[in-house]
Amino acid sequence: MQWVTIALVAAVAVVNIWLIVKFPFQLQVLIAWLELLALFLVFFWSFDLSYEYIWSRLRFLLGLGLQNGFLMGAALTLFICIVAILASTFIALIAALGRLSDNGVAFGVSTFYTSFFRGTPLLLQIMLIYLGLPQLGIVITPIPSAIIALALCYGAYSAEIFRAGILGVPVGQTEAARAIGLRDAKIMRLVVLPQAMKLIVPPLGNQFIAMLKDSSLVSILGAWELMYMARTHGRAEFKYIEMLIAAALIYWIMSMVFETAQARVENYYRKGDQR
Amino acid sequence: MRFLTKLISVLGLSLAVCAQVLGGEVLDRVMGNKVLVMSTDAEYPPQSSLNENNEFIGFDIDVGKEIAKRLGVGIEFVTPSWDVITAGKWAGRWDVSVGSMTPTAKRREVLDFPAIYYYTPASLVVHKDNASIGSPADASGKNIGVAVATTYESYLKKDLVIDAEGAPGFEYQINDAQIRTYDVDNLALDDLRLGDGVRVDAVVTALPTIMDSIKNGYPLKVVGDPLFLEPLSVAIDKGDAEWGAKLTEIVQAMHDDGTLSKFSEKWYDADLTK
Repeated sequence: MQWVTIALVAAVAVVNIWLIVKFPFQLQVLIAWLELLALFLVFFWSFDLSYEYIWSRLRFLLGLGLQNGFLMGAALTLFICIVAILASTFIALIAALGRLSDNGVAFGVSTFYTSFFRGTPLLLQIMLIYLGLPQLGIVITPIPSAIIALALCYGAYSAEIFRAGILGVPVGQTEAARAIGLRDAKIMRLVVLPQAMKLIVPPLGNQFIAMLKDSSLVSILGAWELMYMARTHGRAEFKYIEMLIAAALIYWIMSMVFETAQARVENYYRKGDQR
Repeated sequence: MRFLTKLISVLGLSLAVCAQVLGGEVLDRVMGNKVLVMSTDAEYPPQSSLNENNEFIGFDIDVGKEIAKRLGVGIEFVTPSWDVITAGKWAGRWDVSVGSMTPTAKRREVLDFPAIYYYTPASLVVHKDNASIGSPADASGKNIGVAVATTYESYLKKDLVIDAEGAPGFEYQINDAQIRTYDVDNLALDDLRLGDGVRVDAVVTALPTIMDSIKNGYPLKVVGDPLFLEPLSVAIDKGDAEWGAKLTEIVQAMHDDGTLSKFSEKWYDADLTK
């Protein structure tokens, strides 16, 4: 009986694929997505979840409304990530230029920074900043701690991406710019960086999507971001899985938005390749 | 060079100032700001959790609100994780923890415990299909889940020292437990509900938490009598005696006039305050 079921499922799968490949490519992709999504939903359906519970608490996960006069849920997650992304990009650019500089101090500072922040776990960095800074008399609340930790950590990774991008621009470009009399700062700003961007954007976009999810680590500080809301509301009436699945879907949708944004930026910087 | 020396001395000075907690400082801050900032871990129903309006509810929350009311100030809640609260050195981020904390000797090194407000029984719980663990002693050598940095973990490790006056004595009934630690107690219960021995054989946690999970449909049963009774106290950062004395006075009054018993009946269906 079991074998019959397996054979039947296999046959359906084969026929399904055989049918799908007859369609044009775009339609094939769409059908594959829809079918996998349906299987995914059936999988969760089998858990026998309480959908009323998800529905009743969804607005807190999404962060519609304020908590103590500030954002919460997915809105807070987005806020933390966007500020951290801007800060980390700035830090990364400085660190990459330091790494490429002839100045020994700049090189030393930059390599020390990237080495430490790439060499320790993000969770630990978050704890160090939240618990460590007050020992120096600087008391900061969870949300700034989270932003500082994420910006420093991702700045270190992105510094390497920036460096690789800058080195990826052929040296002939710099030489040609110098030949027409541009100064070093202008060469970097007008000639090298714009060309480096098309190498930098895809891996950088990847970083930001990773950051979106790593921001869940700051829930341990009690910042009311998406993961915290999911955990806490899941605990309230022993509906943990419900809240986790809802949070997973929200993270996923936010990542898709990030992916789309990345594709647009990528296209912008690749204008030079179009003929 | 001179700049560097200056910088170091300034840093050193500010460190010294910070390390010194002045008497009455917290009390002055609370009365000055007209608000009591209380830390709570909202993952522990029925002590503290969020309701369908995203508001805090629970026994600890009611006690905290009552303390604020008697101080004549408002209340605000912050939600750091449990190990951040128990680590001490709060740096003035919050004034008090009304978090059902057991005063242990180790915690007393970093925190002060001015007022015990109720007693909770700690119990051993197994899956309802379990037939081999009939008494706590039967759980010796088994896989037992507990939350990290709790008294339940200390009990299994046999290094639990409850440091409070009038705490009832207890003996270690479980030997050589294979301890599995979790971030919070409910995660251990989630693993236990998967089935007898699937991930853990038993869990040690607070009896009210167990009863609440059973009420919510978890297939679990309590084994024998409670392992120990833990006194649970209000906790404050070390070094402010005036603040501690004020809390002792308020909580004592809440014991005396029956307010605490009333809250206990409301959340636990029993008076656990005696």
